Amino acid sequence: MATLVVNGVKREVQAPADTPLLYVLRNELQLSGPQFGCGLAQCGACSVLLDGKEIRSCVTTLAVVAGKEITTLEGLPARWAKQKNLSQADAEKTLHPVQQAWIEEQVPLCGFCQNGMMIKATELLERLPMPSVPQIKEAFTTDGPSPHLCRCGSYTAIIAAVQLASTTMAKGGKA
Amino acid sequence: MKSEVNVFGAALTRRNFVRAGGALFVGFGLVGADGLKNAARAATMKNTLDASLPESWIEIHPDNTILIRTGKSDFGQSTTFTAYRQIVAEELNASFDSITTVVMGDTDRTPDGSGAFDFLGSGAPNIRKAAAYTHQALLDLASQRLGVPKAQISVKDGVVSGGGKSMTYGDLVKGQQLKLTIPVKGDLLSPLGLVVDGNPPMKPVSEYTVIGKSFRNSVTASKVAAKEQWAVDVRLPDMMHARMVHPKSLGSTLVSVGQLDKAKFPNAQVVVKGNLVGVVAPTEWEAIKASQQVAAATKWKDWKGLPGHARLFDYFKRDADWKTTRVTKSEKSKDDVSPEMAKAAKKLTATYQMPFMKHAPMGPTMAMADVRKDGTVYIYTHNQNPQALRGEIAQMLSTSPDNIIVRTFSGPGHYGRSNGGNAGAEDEAVILSQAVGKPVRVQWMRPEDFQWSTQSPAAMSDVEIGLDSKGKMIAYQIDHYMPAMQDDRPIGAVLAGLPTMAAPNENGVFIGSTVNDIQDPWIYDGVVNIVERGRGTFQVGQKASPLAVGLRDHSMRTPGQFQQNFPRELAVSEAAALAGADAIQFRIDHAKEERAIGVLKAVRDASGWETRPSPRAKGSGAAVRGQGVSVMFRSATYWACVAQIAVTPATGAITVEKVTVAVDPGIVVNPMQLKRQVEGGTVMGVSIALLEELQFDESGITTRDWRTYPILKMSELPEIKVVLVNKPEVGTYGGGSEAANALAAPAIASALFDATGKIVRRLPLKPEYVQAVLKA
Repeated sequence: MATLVVNGVKREVQAPADTPLLYVLRNELQLSGPQFGCGLAQCGACSVLLDGKEIRSCVTTLAVVAGKEITTLEGLPARWAKQKNLSQADAEKTLHPVQQAWIEEQVPLCGFCQNGMMIKATELLERLPMPSVPQIKEAFTTDGPSPHLCRCGSYTAIIAAVQLASTTMAKGGKA
Repeated sequence: MKSEVNVFGAALTRRNFVRAGGALFVGFGLVGADGLKNAARAATMKNTLDASLPESWIEIHPDNTILIRTGKSDFGQSTTFTAYRQIVAEELNASFDSITTVVMGDTDRTPDGSGAFDFLGSGAPNIRKAAAYTHQALLDLASQRLGVPKAQISVKDGVVSGGGKSMTYGDLVKGQQLKLTIPVKGDLLSPLGLVVDGNPPMKPVSEYTVIGKSFRNSVTASKVAAKEQWAVDVRLPDMMHARMVHPKSLGSTLVSVGQLDKAKFPNAQVVVKGNLVGVVAPTEWEAIKASQQVAAATKWKDWKGLPGHARLFDYFKRDADWKTTRVTKSEKSKDDVSPEMAKAAKKLTATYQMPFMKHAPMGPTMAMADVRKDGTVYIYTHNQNPQALRGEIAQMLSTSPDNIIVRTFSGPGHYGRSNGGNAGAEDEAVILSQAVGKPVRVQWMRPEDFQWSTQSPAAMSDVEIGLDSKGKMIAYQIDHYMPAMQDDRPIGAVLAGLPTMAAPNENGVFIGSTVNDIQDPWIYDGVVNIVERGRGTFQVGQKASPLAVGLRDHSMRTPGQFQQNFPRELAVSEAAALAGADAIQFRIDHAKEERAIGVLKAVRDASGWETRPSPRAKGSGAAVRGQGVSVMFRSATYWACVAQIAVTPATGAITVEKVTVAVDPGIVVNPMQLKRQVEGGTVMGVSIALLEELQFDESGITTRDWRTYPILKMSELPEIKVVLVNKPEVGTYGGGSEAANALAAPAIASALFDATGKIVRRLPLKPEYVQAVLKA
């Protein structure tokens, strides 16, 4: 049994301490953002933010994350609302600017990898609000445990969406 | 009371039956002897939409919302959520937004089946014809209600007007139970499914207002907000998690199953059926750990029956059986062009090689099955052809398809892998669910997905091109060699020894055939002395394996045509160089079709192409640059591609700097979505060109993860420029989700030649292979 803080809420979970976080998030907490892509930290589909840093939930055990702050794709709107001190009413009807940019630019093809792409984009933009194209490419390629892979080939759209999100975030979230 | 109206061969019936709401339902009927024989099976089948039932293609509701149903599952093409809605809205003269619901794939909730390919049906997909019939029926209804002749009725945004009166579609259907029966033919459970027949009047292209606009994909928002229900998210009460223990090699039979450590895994259980071994447990993590423990202790016979990837093309040349399977010829092919070839002033003779490649979806295959006590089987999966899967599972269980229901959900792109009905895990989930009496979710791990799934077949082509003294092609001959491309046997059923369709053989038709058809239409109609032959064989290792599996193949995005277009297009670029001609101008000079010439000119203008012969004059510095071109006709669409690259001769490393693609599908249905499809396909194409090759030894596939099967990373992304050539005057819309992935390889290979003067006639163009040729 362990206590996690997921998307701002304290959660008690039953899984053994050696269970990878991904299975706990998906099966016990019924969160569907993070995906099982490889189980080897080679693709990025399972990414979540751990205290603001992108990690691979498929190889990170429950023991490692206990007590730390986990943000999944589901938690991005609330994360943005908290950062911007939005009212509860505004927070409920808003997406994170990264998610909104993903819609504007029609990024997903099959969309299976996009959880990790949006998590990575959020981490990047919190750290580096106006990244250049080479910096975006670097973030999605060499920055983490592995490149973030997309078999459908959405990379061009991702770069456009990160740039759009960067602009809207600089304006406080208004497109 | 019941009345019947004939609507261009479709029958509209109306009952003055008033139920809360009322609606117009469009179902399907039967036509012709073949239609009767085949579709009768579908129409009378339990758990299938039927002409006599209200479930249907299209529902128009009293609140003016419209629901559409299609057997085609969207796999990232976006077609069912954008183009299909646009097409239906257009034919009905309704707004795009009024189509609020798209039901797709589920075998008991959609009418027509077939795979996730050829969505736009060369301009006449089922859903368009169904909509066109529906529109005519609505006009008939409006004529009756408004009391004016049909010809005097006008429709805009779902409002019919005539004789000074107006009413909405919703008003027309309110309070009535209407059923339109339209003609269909085909076999629901076959790879091609049912096809809507007849020729209902369709809206003239000149009146289009919805097609041609960049509507958003309605499923994007739920995927982005983590609100989509993916197949991996399906949960049932009492469900169990399972992991498979697949054989040690592609020919290994089971010797003994490892003993499960009950102390460590008290809730797990092992299921064995023939050579199929699975481990089932209430939690996913216990299933994973227990399966690893059982796998380590399980003994299999050794087997070595594959040539290994390094010897593959020697095997194709010396050992493979190309004699048993009949040789095919293209439509334009002559029997013999040797007299013309003998007159050539210059000749190119060369052999080209394509490796086995993986579809490599981002998520490994998974499925949940619920085999119920009454014999009903529910399968929850992500599948490109749910109706075909239904037939395969019925065959495996020796039961009627009536008892099988497949529900399909969003999932990772398969790129053709499950177009024949199964993706890998569905049949295994059924076998395990039947054994334990509970719903079972089978999830393959990453190495299994590389090692036990099907692949895109390797291929080899021998080309001969003859040029006259002026550098004109006067004779062309190509022999394509490729093992059987479509093995749709569910692997779990094969391992368990349960009934399946036959292994690919020379007598098979389409699916399961070793016949290698010509897929790449000849585009250089200025050359008439051509021979294009296809030679097929069994899958590699299939005959030698005690499991009869070998390297199983399946169609992958632009199937067969990719394997045939790469050698042709690279050879044509080489022929242009032999002729001392510019590679684009050489193509234009040999083509006659205006649309083919049009995309070549468009890509030349947009890419910054330098018009000159290849190779270019030697540059200085560590890297040399080059340009290359390719062209293709597929699914009623013309494509041309220019690649501009830099090569470092010292290492053989290629950097693709820019790829420009010109695409002419006739009518562009949705510019934004088409552009995204082309960009994505291009990325996959560059990846295939530079990196992708299945590794295997004498026992099985050794590719196991993203390190051993690298795909393109964002840092390697070239600039991609897409030129959409919209030609409404063509009158139809071609497909846009294939072809793009096949264009880059021949363009990059000819750019490599342009840059270095050396030709690498094999894929992938990885540094090791490039360097070997550059040093030779």
